[in-house]
Amino acid sequence: MTKKVLVVDDDPDVRLFNITVIEECGYSALEAENGEEGLAKVKQERPDLVLLDVLMPRQSGIRLYRELKTDPALKQIRVVLLSGIAEKTFLRSQKALTEFGGAAVPEPEHYLEKPVEPEKLARTLKQILG
Amino acid sequence: MDIRKILFVTQFEELWFDALQSLLDLRRAALEHVVFVNVIEREKVTMHRGTGYQKREAMRLREKANIHFINWAEALFEQGLEVGVYIVVGALVTRVVEAAAKEEADLIVLGDRRQGGLKQFYAGEELAEIVRRSRVPVMLYRYAGARHEALPPFQRPLLATDWGPASRNAVAYLRRLQAVIEEINVVHVADERQLRGDSAMTIQKTRKDERARLEALCEQFEGDGIPARAHLVVGEPADLIVKAARQCQATMIVSGISTRRGFGARWRGGTYRAIADKTDLTTLIVPVPATAEDR
Repeated sequence: MTKKVLVVDDDPDVRLFNITVIEECGYSALEAENGEEGLAKVKQERPDLVLLDVLMPRQSGIRLYRELKTDPALKQIRVVLLSGIAEKTFLRSQKALTEFGGAAVPEPEHYLEKPVEPEKLARTLKQILG
Repeated sequence: MDIRKILFVTQFEELWFDALQSLLDLRRAALEHVVFVNVIEREKVTMHRGTGYQKREAMRLREKANIHFINWAEALFEQGLEVGVYIVVGALVTRVVEAAAKEEADLIVLGDRRQGGLKQFYAGEELAEIVRRSRVPVMLYRYAGARHEALPPFQRPLLATDWGPASRNAVAYLRRLQAVIEEINVVHVADERQLRGDSAMTIQKTRKDERARLEALCEQFEGDGIPARAHLVVGEPADLIVKAARQCQATMIVSGISTRRGFGARWRGGTYRAIADKTDLTTLIVPVPATAEDR
């Protein structure tokens, strides 16, 4: 069965770019415009991987990542961060949220900084999904 | 209603991030989410003679805005806040109102710098239109410049009440902020027509009644742990409210707006705009609660 990758990004140009790479790698692509819609799609479609932006309207990738990694039913889903926000900031933010009483979450396996070369994105996807 | 989410409208004015920082004491109340909005005016990217829509220029302006926002968002994310961004092309009023509705924001913040020779960003009409169409309070933030500390507006607000539904809404809004308000001053401007009694005693009774009403309101604030002082004045509302704010060393003026026919004629449309025009302080304009207006 074709593996599913969900792209969560508010920028339609970035979504289009990511979807093109995903489909060229032989996977099936789903899309969502923000974290809130992304979570609904994750629950509905159970993708194999989520390609996640950070700075978005409605709900950021920081919160969605947290939701995914603290939900026992969803935490096995692989996540690749793809953002203009620095990885260091992402980690500090998660640390701050944990200090404010949230659950601890693991560091992301892959954090790519925008803009990413299509070859690098394809390589990362194949490394995770095979 | 708690202030959980702020919609922060910016054209990247100088020191605007300092202004935002001065609002972050709202975290002690309920603030957890800041949404930045940058509206690229349509005229900047469209309708140039012979060129039509300037896609490249739109992209350049978007990316420029994005660089600012990434920098600001990183600072807020690291403090554990949730951050969102809208960079949109279009008419300022429409886009701001749309973003506020989409995000279900609890407060819209607009910037306005009068000093230092920069042009005033928001025309009075734009402010009035955003206020008219907004279901949530609108703050017109004034910052005095680099040499002045950006004081937290909610530290010492002055509430101007006309006893109408919007004023009651403002009271409910402020009472939730006991964690950030150090002291509140409440002012009511009596209409001179109210004082046209047949005798001194009638006039004094009116004064006494209004004073008692103000004291009762202050007791509500005191009950919430917010020290409150009452002020009753008579005359032209905007001038007296601005003067009272200065005397009380208020950090912000809060006033209600009513769009309901037949209610508070002196306050409809005119007073909050007159206050915003006459003061150098930040002003917060609170609408009639949606449920009351819809009835």
